[in-house]
Amino acid sequence: MSGNSKHAATDGPTETEPPPKFTGELNIRYISYGSEKESPYLPAIRQLISKDLSEPYSIYVYRYFLYQWGDLCFMALDAHNNLLGVIVCKLEPHRHGPMRGYIAMLATRSEYRGRRIATMLVRLAVDKMIEEDADEIALETEVTNIPSLRIYENLGFLRTKRLHRYYLNGSTAFRLLLYLKPGIPYKPTFPPEFPAESGGGQGQGWMDEVLVERQVVRTGVEDVYGERFDVAGR
Amino acid sequence: MPDDDLADEASQLTIDGDGNNEINFTAKRLAQEARQTLSFGGGSGRGIRDVTEEFAAAAKQLQPGQLVKDEYFTLFEAVGALEIMDPKMDSGYVLPGDSLEPDFDVCKGLPAGEVLWIMDELLRLTVVWHDGYPLSQTIFTSLHVDRLLSPDNRAPYGFSYGDTTLRVMTTEERLVHLVLRAYCIALVKSCALVLHTIQSQNFYEEEDFVTHLFGRELLPEIGADDAVKLIDEAVSVVEVAGVDEAMRAALFERLQFARTYLSLLVDESTDWTTLTATRLLAETHNLAQALPKAFSDKVQRQLATSTPPRPMIAISWDEALQRWMSMCADIIEAERLTDFDVCQSPHGLQRAIWAFAYREPQPNTFARAYLQTLLFASEQIAEGMAFFDLMLADIRDLVLAGDVLADPHSFLIEIPADPRHKCSRVVEAFMDKVFDEYMNIYRMICQNRCRIRRTFSQSIVILDRLETEAMRADAELSSITPGTILPNEGGSKEVGLNPLTSWVKYYKLQIMGWSIQLGFETGIYLPHELCMMYWYLMVFAQRKRKLLEHVGRFLVARRKHLASSRSASQDVEAAASREWLVVLHRQADFTESLSCALWQLCELLTTLEIVKPPKRDHAREQLLYDVRMKSYLGIAHEPIPTLEEYKSAQQSIPSIDETCEGINRAIANAKSCLVVLKKTTPQQGKYVGTEEQWRREIKQLETTCVAVAVQTSQLRRVADKHGKQSAGREHGLKGLVEVSIPSPGSRYHGWWVVPQIKERKA
Ligand SMILES: CC(C)(COP(=O)(O)OP(=O)(O)OC[C@H]1O[C@@H](n2cnc3c(N)ncnc32)[C@H](O)[C@@H]1OP(=O)(O)O)[C@@H](O)C(=O)NCCC(=O)NCCS
Repeated sequence: MSGNSKHAATDGPTETEPPPKFTGELNIRYISYGSEKESPYLPAIRQLISKDLSEPYSIYVYRYFLYQWGDLCFMALDAHNNLLGVIVCKLEPHRHGPMRGYIAMLATRSEYRGRRIATMLVRLAVDKMIEEDADEIALETEVTNIPSLRIYENLGFLRTKRLHRYYLNGSTAFRLLLYLKPGIPYKPTFPPEFPAESGGGQGQGWMDEVLVERQVVRTGVEDVYGERFDVAGR
Repeated sequence: MPDDDLADEASQLTIDGDGNNEINFTAKRLAQEARQTLSFGGGSGRGIRDVTEEFAAAAKQLQPGQLVKDEYFTLFEAVGALEIMDPKMDSGYVLPGDSLEPDFDVCKGLPAGEVLWIMDELLRLTVVWHDGYPLSQTIFTSLHVDRLLSPDNRAPYGFSYGDTTLRVMTTEERLVHLVLRAYCIALVKSCALVLHTIQSQNFYEEEDFVTHLFGRELLPEIGADDAVKLIDEAVSVVEVAGVDEAMRAALFERLQFARTYLSLLVDESTDWTTLTATRLLAETHNLAQALPKAFSDKVQRQLATSTPPRPMIAISWDEALQRWMSMCADIIEAERLTDFDVCQSPHGLQRAIWAFAYREPQPNTFARAYLQTLLFASEQIAEGMAFFDLMLADIRDLVLAGDVLADPHSFLIEIPADPRHKCSRVVEAFMDKVFDEYMNIYRMICQNRCRIRRTFSQSIVILDRLETEAMRADAELSSITPGTILPNEGGSKEVGLNPLTSWVKYYKLQIMGWSIQLGFETGIYLPHELCMMYWYLMVFAQRKRKLLEHVGRFLVARRKHLASSRSASQDVEAAASREWLVVLHRQADFTESLSCALWQLCELLTTLEIVKPPKRDHAREQLLYDVRMKSYLGIAHEPIPTLEEYKSAQQSIPSIDETCEGINRAIANAKSCLVVLKKTTPQQGKYVGTEEQWRREIKQLETTCVAVAVQTSQLRRVADKHGKQSAGREHGLKGLVEVSIPSPGSRYHGWWVVPQIKERKA
């Protein structure tokens, strides 16, 4: 999930004028969210991320990621522990195949953009995923989000798919992918299972996915339309 | 939704198969929970239990901030969760000072101008719906429609639930209860028909279209013909209504429009040109008096949706009409592009579908579903041309013209000992296996552009597997009737035609090429990747060209044979195939030459360090290659060149000058192919029905060739100026030249990226 707003590259949808850039000296610390308990930073994280979303995520979405993969979440803090940037990820086998890291959210506070904060956060997350034996890392970002594309492409991610009207606001995304080990394309994956076709099933059935799963796509959290496997009934 | 339906719905979530994945689990559990809830509500154990204490006790066991996650809590549950009282998530939450229900009485009579406005607004929203926005945000926001669809409403679906017929109505009331209501009902029935068309074809939910009804039904108890009757009644109401002439005409038009739209959807044989007369609607729209209160987002509170409204594009009335007209034009074109003559040739038909897909603006989901319906709704593609015949014609056109193997008569022979009978069974069995993937080609081109690329990418390995089947079938065929054997290209050994293998291979290579070109079109490749992608496109085109030469040699041999046996019809068929192969050969040669030119140009720009890959700390060359070539790595028959092979192809060109010469030679060859293609007749080139597109495309490709030559000479000029033209490439032009990559919309042809070279001003 990326900036869901059309203005993702500039600022959150609620503000018309971007706030002035912070120009002073900064002493930025990067720390991992950790895994013990719900962090006092959660409200700040939530606030930062939701600024760039056209629709909010419930608290459970954040908890879902942070509870299980708190070690893959990194925060950039200033000297007063204000949150300047954050990255949220997960890491699990993809369709019983390769170990896939997934970058779910990334944001820098608009006054602090352009200082390589996001670049640093992505690096930390990628390194951690490598340490945890990831085979590949994937993410989606809006086709017009130049800063975000830059960050990932500077690291070695390639665009593998264009996802038509991927986000809720109707904008289109690129899927980006980075392999970390040789031979990944040869690893077998297994198609997700789908319910028996509902409603008579006279449609060609390429789109009758689980309703709920569809919702996941709607919010752009994870790819379920990726492969032809997703196409039920064939 | 009634309780039973909920249980049903929930149990449908349970998944067939043996279910050990997350989704499966969750679905089962949700179903179970739903069942429990229902039995609790309806069964014997009904009652209320105060859980406050239990809850408090359980909560005490947790540390502040401590989280517990049950192992079945999945991402989609997290995403589906709502936070009550959060105005962005909780659609039932009423902001202070606001009301829950919209404040508007749908039963109230309205002046004609306002009725007119509501009608036009509904049409505008219909257009937005066609554009991919959900009903909940478009047509369903009409409070009149909302009342009609309300779960408590029953046939004959009035605005007021009570009986209004006994009362004498005022003109304004008649305009609402008889005229506007008829219009709304006709529109809702039209929606139902549009949905039916879309849902019976391939499309992608959400990204193309939202079919969700949000728990509403589209007036199930009345049919389209009833709606037409209501419109007719409405017409007679307007005839005697006390409104002025212009207004009356305007209302007539709207009613007529709704009637026509509905009947077009009912009966495919009628003519959509009648609906393009929306100019009239445009002219009378100024009589409309806005009544925004008749629409409200608040209806969404009553609808079954857990996602907040999607931000909608605001389109004006004029723009809506524009889009409407282009949809009608698309449908008319879909009819034309699938007429009898076009469907006679499989390649002609493919060309026609491509032409449809590339109409500007791109046809919407309904128009694309309409085309698919024309193609696939019956068992045959056109009168007397079953899908099977289409495929057989394809095989014949390409590899077996004039040969008994693919002669339809051979399939009718019933004498088991006859080799033609035996061979036909083999061919048939092969065709059965390939059938789905073959028909898929036609279907895929009807999808959105991103999907075309992705499904083609997935098709490559499937076709590769089918090639194995084809090889098996070919071996069987030649054991029944040994075919002609000819020396291979270099004359070093003898080869057979292997018709079915050649045919599958042709399509595989075709789709491999298309997948790269669609990658260019969808902006998948970074500037420094163009070099490699052009090189592979060149290799694929070259393989295709060689394959066509192989097939061509056998065709020549067959024709000699046919000439001696004087079988006129087969000879005609073989002659047509000969011409067709010449066209295909030129096309392959063109693609090969132009991609060769662009590969060299991009390679030069890369070695001169004008185009540079990002630094990329985490990038390893082989892994980048794996990501990029993933769709092609599964190919077993004639695998694609490896990274090493690609790299060793790169060092062959020494100086800037020589490279530029090479580019110009390739461009000259590409142009000469276009000269031949230009002279090709629609019959020879199988572009009957798409003559205009054929000419336009050749024009675009010519311009592309010119552009490559211009950019090349530009580069040479700069090199010249700095005395580097004959220097080795290591003496780069770094810092002297700037390159930009035109976006898909600003190219001469979306499938060809020509880097724009500019001298950098000091
Ligand atoms: C995308 C985002 C996280 C970048 O944060 P940031 O801290 O400013 O990023 P960085 O400073 O590391 O800069 C990233 C790159 O983008 C470039 N960049 C930044 N702003 C840019 C702009 N407006 N136009 C072009 N490039 C820009 C930078 O130059 C840098 O590239 P470089 O390393 O080649 O010089 C930030 O813009 C953001 O929060 N956006 C909203 C949320 C979002 O879109 N998330 C990404 C979804 S996965």
